[in-house]
Amino acid sequence: MQRLRDVLRRLSPRRGADSGDRELRADGSEQTDRLRGSSELRSDGGVATAEETPTETGRWQSLLSSDFVQSIPFWLPPFLLMGFFVYGAIGWNLVISLTDFEGLLLPEYTVSEFDLEMYRRALSDPSFWTAAQNTLVLLVAFTAVCLLFGLLLAILVDQEIRFENTLRTIYLLPMSLSFVVTAKFWAWMYNPQIGMINVTLRQLGLDFLTLQWISNPDTKLAAVIFALIWQFSGYAMVVYLAGLRAIPTAHYEAAKVDGASTAKMYWRVILPQLRASTMSAAVVLMVFALKAFDFLYVMFGNNPGPAADILATMMFREAFGSNNWAYGSAIAIVLFGMALAVVAPYLYSEYRRGEL
Amino acid sequence: MAELTLDGVTKWFEDDGGRIVAVDDARVEIEDGEFLVLVGPSGCGKSTTLRMIAGLETVSDGDIRLGGRTITDEPPTTRDIAMVFQSYALYPHMTVRENMSFGLEESTDMPDDEIRSRVEETAAMMGIEDLLDRKPGELSGGQQQRVALGRAIVRDPEVFLMDEPLSNLDAKLRSQMRTELQRLQEDLGVTTVYVTHDQTEAMTMGDRIAILNDGKLQQVGTPLECYHEPRNVFVAGFIGEPSMNFFDVDLRNGSLVAEEFEYLLSDETLADVEGHDRLVLGIRPEDIELVGEGEGRHDFRTAVDVVEPMGDENNVYLTFADADRAVATDEETETFVATVSGLRSVESGQKVVARIPEEAIHVFDRETGEALHNRKLDRTEVPQPNI
Amino acid sequence: MSSPPASPNPDDHTRRERIEQTIRDADRTRVALYAILLGLVGFYLAPLEAGLMTAFKTTDAFNRTVPFLPPVADGFTFEPWEIAFSEMSNALVNSLLLAVPATVLSAGLGSIAAYGLTTIDWKYQTALVALFVAGIFIPYQAVLVPLSRLYAIVNTQELLSFLWGLPMMHEHYASIINLIVTHVAYGIPITFLLFRSYYQTLSDEMIEAARLDGASVFSIYRNIVLPLSRPIFAVTLIYQFTQIWNDLLFALVILPSGGGAAAPVTIALNSLTGGIVESFNTQMAGAFVAALPTLLVYVLFGEQFAKGVAGET
Repeated sequence: MQRLRDVLRRLSPRRGADSGDRELRADGSEQTDRLRGSSELRSDGGVATAEETPTETGRWQSLLSSDFVQSIPFWLPPFLLMGFFVYGAIGWNLVISLTDFEGLLLPEYTVSEFDLEMYRRALSDPSFWTAAQNTLVLLVAFTAVCLLFGLLLAILVDQEIRFENTLRTIYLLPMSLSFVVTAKFWAWMYNPQIGMINVTLRQLGLDFLTLQWISNPDTKLAAVIFALIWQFSGYAMVVYLAGLRAIPTAHYEAAKVDGASTAKMYWRVILPQLRASTMSAAVVLMVFALKAFDFLYVMFGNNPGPAADILATMMFREAFGSNNWAYGSAIAIVLFGMALAVVAPYLYSEYRRGEL
Repeated sequence: MAELTLDGVTKWFEDDGGRIVAVDDARVEIEDGEFLVLVGPSGCGKSTTLRMIAGLETVSDGDIRLGGRTITDEPPTTRDIAMVFQSYALYPHMTVRENMSFGLEESTDMPDDEIRSRVEETAAMMGIEDLLDRKPGELSGGQQQRVALGRAIVRDPEVFLMDEPLSNLDAKLRSQMRTELQRLQEDLGVTTVYVTHDQTEAMTMGDRIAILNDGKLQQVGTPLECYHEPRNVFVAGFIGEPSMNFFDVDLRNGSLVAEEFEYLLSDETLADVEGHDRLVLGIRPEDIELVGEGEGRHDFRTAVDVVEPMGDENNVYLTFADADRAVATDEETETFVATVSGLRSVESGQKVVARIPEEAIHVFDRETGEALHNRKLDRTEVPQPNI
Repeated sequence: MSSPPASPNPDDHTRRERIEQTIRDADRTRVALYAILLGLVGFYLAPLEAGLMTAFKTTDAFNRTVPFLPPVADGFTFEPWEIAFSEMSNALVNSLLLAVPATVLSAGLGSIAAYGLTTIDWKYQTALVALFVAGIFIPYQAVLVPLSRLYAIVNTQELLSFLWGLPMMHEHYASIINLIVTHVAYGIPITFLLFRSYYQTLSDEMIEAARLDGASVFSIYRNIVLPLSRPIFAVTLIYQFTQIWNDLLFALVILPSGGGAAAPVTIALNSLTGGIVESFNTQMAGAFVAALPTLLVYVLFGEQFAKGVAGET
């Protein structure tokens, strides 16, 4: 009796065409109920005429109830949102970079007028080359020093020291701060007259070392890189520490038994095993470096000057300062290409190792 | 009512254009209330078969029917099947009670108080009623095992599937649970498919056992059928501990001729093997008799290589020691095993005569592995376990 | 504070003992080690310490005294904090209104997306996963112009005009909603990755057991996966909160120039000059005001933050 009532309920037309359907799909439990109902029908055989041939029904059923279909409500909405904002926007940006969109007018998307003019303009723009060069220097120097420093930190912290957690917390602390905050701190640190660095140098009698750190073109970029290393080397330490802890004890012991010195042990036995840590830390650090815009913007405003201008600041200045929207977009695409060159091989290798 | 039929069930995986067949054309009919053990070496496809029955793995070809209803394409949810996993797979954040109620809440419209009483009944039956309000993390391995069983039982499904459920228990608890599981299954009378790689488990627990190798079903039969009448070399070697002894032999002039011995066959046996001349002779260790003196046509002079005392019996490793060819080539002496009473003293190096009675031998085709002649069973009455 | 992740596994112990032995042999190494570690503490804390001291000094005092020494007598003042608070209080509210919903939403969406693409096996899963993960590494410059175009076309303020008449609602919330949507969208990749790597550690057999128990895909998420996600939710929420709170770029691009009434705390801090001359004391106080919530979260949940950071690999 109960079963019959269920069957009748399930056969009755669903309320509300579109919304009802969506509800059913979003709520898997309701759907399986429905399936169960119809499978019971089939085993009874009584209502078979109302259905298609058994195999087709089976296939249709198994499609609807397949894991894939049921998983759609979970991943598709976030995917669409993310896909629109990330990949949709990059595509849109690419299109804008092909137009001549600038000033206060609206962009015109006429396919026949698409050209690479903005990219040509970039190639012949000396400030673009300066910015590209600075970006590369920042990327490489920042990443390399951060990794090295982080590795040394990790090895020091890995020596079974006391207060390890406190130290780790302190070393990682700057990373929890906003670029805006750290830029404010470092602008103060670097202040040539009353900033901490120069004051300390003077106190130590090292007056000849005091410099106009962030206005002197020779030291500007280095000063920025130093501050960024201060902020992110703790991150490299955390990654390396995890890597060190993952190495089996036997390897340390084997090296000791073989009579290797501590330095040699790290160099020959431990370092080679940290390749994966190095790789992932390097990629993430490079991404941070590409996002260093906030820091530069707070410290120098729209234009850090040729000595510290990077593509990110140049793009922002061209687009949002001078309304050269298409030009800014083209620079952004170059920047995106650089990021892709770093990230794509990494993701591919992760995929090959089956870790995606 | 709930007989389970595998009708040519096949599973393949696509791999770089190639096809890897995991289960090939499996056909079994499992009767209502029957306890079938799927056994085979690791990677033979037994777990895949079980997972196809559960609906956790799609079926590439063939059909699965439960009580006459085809469930091949049905999702696991609607199959009315409960499964016990090797890792128990309990929900760590739920109490034992919640673990056991979950299936009833999800798959039935049963009112809460009925669920409650059923869970408590089952828990009492399993002896875990005191654990109902604990979480799995607070239980011992054996207790978790009981909860996992209870969770399956409480749902009163048409079929139980068990995937090596005892392999995480220590030896003593395992044999205890083995008996208990059998008793439970008999009481409940629910059709059960039990996967294991352990042939002892298979022999002791199953009404029937299905032996799988390389994705192919080798034989389905009662434990004693599989033991005494193996369909092929694989089954003969897989079932039984220590394994059956095999000798590669050629049929010449009515005798099985090996490098070290000749075994004269009776006309009756000869008739069975007719038309095949490259053969394998098989004999179970317990069928080999060790006698002091003997000159019969199935007596062979051997030397004891190693003795493994097991307490109740001795496993005696023998080598053929033909006095005429006394060149004892120490390297590569092939041994075979005989099992004798533990009370009998046998020493390494001792010369003994091994008697291999003809009524106990098995003969297989060396190419196909197929059994051509199995031992005679007129001496022993085969009990009918499936009543 | 945070507890050590290092498990007391026996291997570690022998290794530690060995290291300890080596170190007992060389006591001087040990002293040098602690000296270096302490020096590094100085290095990482110096800017914060100098900033904190400066924030309590009068203009006259910070111009004359050594930055890292505490203020003395008449050089001591609370004024910079008062100015910073009064100038940034609105922005603090805005940041909170922005960061809390954006954090929760991006974590929730990351969780369901990761569930949909992890516990369920599907042929093209890897491609989708790759698209999600690659989103982490996008330089945001590549989407800035389209974003500004998008919000020029989609006028949230008009679309939601029915809201602004309600009590407690202000028109500038429209900009905050734009920012929330943006942060949620760009937060999904990292939250997805964090949840996915966690869900991969859940037992397959447990999920299968739930399916055999008759649970639907939805019910498995609701009753099994979600309750087990608590630790990773903590990690993700904390990480995302600091990221969104700390952002400047999206606010610069999406909000009307200067930030307007919707300016979050990063914008407010950036435009905080505190007078005609560069008043570092006010700026430092402002920096601490802006950093306070993230510092608090970090100090209280440092362990989760570290995990979020490591999960980014």
